[in-house]
Amino acid sequence: MSHVTHLAKNRALLTVRAHVVRLIREWFWQEGFLEAEAPQILRLPGQEPHLSPMKLAVHDERGREYAAWLHTSPEYAMKKMLAAGFERIFALGKVFRDYESFGGTHNPEFTMLEWYRAGAYFYKIMDDVERLLAHVTDSLLRLELPGWSLPRETANWKPFKRVRMRELWQEQAGVNLDEYLEREAMLALCRSRGYAPGVEERYEDLFYRIFLNEIEPRLADMGAVIVHHYPLPMAALARASEAEPGYAERFEVYLNGLELANAFGELTDPAEQRRRLIGEQAERRAAGKDVFDVDEEFIEALVTMPDASGIALGVDRLVQALSGCKNIDDVLVLPMSKLMNN
Amino acid sequence: MGDTTDIRKGAVIRHQGDLFVVSNFQFVNPGKGSAFTKTKMKSLTTGKSVEITYKSGETVDTVQVERQNMQYLYRNGDMYSFMNKLSYETLDVDASTIGDDAQYLKDGVEVIAIMHEERVVAVELPKKIQYTVTQAPPAVKGDTAGGNITKEAIMDNGLKVQVPIFIKEGEEILVNTETGEYSGRAGEK
Repeated sequence: MSHVTHLAKNRALLTVRAHVVRLIREWFWQEGFLEAEAPQILRLPGQEPHLSPMKLAVHDERGREYAAWLHTSPEYAMKKMLAAGFERIFALGKVFRDYESFGGTHNPEFTMLEWYRAGAYFYKIMDDVERLLAHVTDSLLRLELPGWSLPRETANWKPFKRVRMRELWQEQAGVNLDEYLEREAMLALCRSRGYAPGVEERYEDLFYRIFLNEIEPRLADMGAVIVHHYPLPMAALARASEAEPGYAERFEVYLNGLELANAFGELTDPAEQRRRLIGEQAERRAAGKDVFDVDEEFIEALVTMPDASGIALGVDRLVQALSGCKNIDDVLVLPMSKLMNN
Repeated sequence: MGDTTDIRKGAVIRHQGDLFVVSNFQFVNPGKGSAFTKTKMKSLTTGKSVEITYKSGETVDTVQVERQNMQYLYRNGDMYSFMNKLSYETLDVDASTIGDDAQYLKDGVEVIAIMHEERVVAVELPKKIQYTVTQAPPAVKGDTAGGNITKEAIMDNGLKVQVPIFIKEGEEILVNTETGEYSGRAGEK
C-alpha cells in the first residue's frame, strides 16, 4: 500500500507532470518539429565514460540470445535521422542509467527530452529553451491546478541570464579561465586553491573540483542561467568554437542551481568523432566498465549529417524546478527507491 | 582513509585540519563528466556546517568511529537518554545532535550511537520503526475520488503519519524513518 500512499501524496505534482509532458509535445508540434521515437534497446550504446548502460538479453523466436543495452540517451538514433534528412526532431521518453542514486536529483530511469535543429547555430537552441519554458510555465499558470503554485524563485525566470563560462569564473572565483585551458595549468590552479587532485587527473575533473565547490553553489540564487562556451577539453560531442578559440559550442541550463539541460553545436567531423570515441573506450576500459564497439553506422551518418545543434533536457527535474520540489521521487509515479527499498 | 563510497550520514571526516560529521550527502552525475558526492557536514569543534563536493572515488579522510548499540530511554529537556545494550551505562545526547530524527524516538527503540572519542556525534535510527496507532479518525468510504485515500494518524509517541484510510486505532504499523512515510502493517511482507 505504500506505493498507493506515495501516489496519493504526490497527486498534485504528478498532475503537473502530466501537463508538462503534454505542453512540451504541443510546443514542438507548433514549432514544426516531428517526434522521433528512438529505440530504447540498442546493440551499441553511448560510450560516455561516466555512464553505465543497463544490460539486457533479447531472444528471437528460436531462443537465440542477443546482447543489448537500454539507451542512456536517444542521441545516436536522432543524429542518424538528421543524416537522413529530418530537419527538426524531438524525442520525449524514458532513458536508463545504471549506478546512479535512488532519489535526490537522480533516478535510474528518467524522462529525457532531446531536440535537434539542422542548420541552426547553438544560440537558436538557447532561444528554444527560453520559449519552451515560457510556454510551459505560462500555460500551467493559466490552468490554476489545485495544490500547485509556481515557487517564488521560479516566478522571475524571464529573462534568462546568459553568461559565458569564462565570465562566470571571473565573477564568482576571480579566475581568468583563458589562462587555464590546459590540463597542467588547471592542475596547478587546483593545488593553489587547496585541492589535492591526483597527478593523472583529467582536465574535466580538475575543472569540476573548482566549479562544483566554488561556482555552482552560487547558481542557486541566480534563477534561470544559461552557461555557454565550455573549455575545449570538455567538448564531449560539441564542436570547437571558431569565434572563441579554446572553447567549445556547449551550454548548460541551470534553474535555481539545478542542472537541467546540456546542449551542443554538434560535432559532425567523422574522423574527430571516431578519435574521441576511441579515447572514451580507453577511459571505460581503464575504469573497468563495459566497453562497446564504435557504432560505425553513427560515424558514417556524420558524413551526411548537416551542421546541427541539439540539447538534452531532464523533464523530471523541470517538473521539480516548476514545483520547488527537492526530491525527484515526488514527481515520479514509482521511484526506484520505493521499488527497491521500501 | 576511505573514499567517497564511505560517505554516509554520521561518517566522520577530517578536512582541512578539523573533524566534521556528515549530516547529508547527495550523489551527482552530470553524465558528461565524472560523478561527484556533494557532502554537507558539521564541524565537531565549531558546529558550523560546510558543503564540500568530492569527486567519486576520491580519497576521503574518514576517521574511525565506534558504533554502539543503544536503547532509547527518555527525554529530559534538551537531552535524550540512551542505554548501552552491553554495559547498561546510560548516555545523554543533546537535541542538536539528533535533529529532526527526535520525532521518531520512542521508548525502547534501538539505535546506533556513532561515537568519536567518547562523544556521540550522530545517532542512526533503524530504517523502519514499529508504532501502535493511538489515534486514527474513522475512514470515510467512497471518498477516494477526491484523492483522500490517506488520513493523518497519531502514533504511540505522538508522531503524525499519513496512513491508508483502512488503518484503525490499535494497529501496529511500520514507518520509514528516512521519509517519514507509512511503509506497511507490521508483520506484512
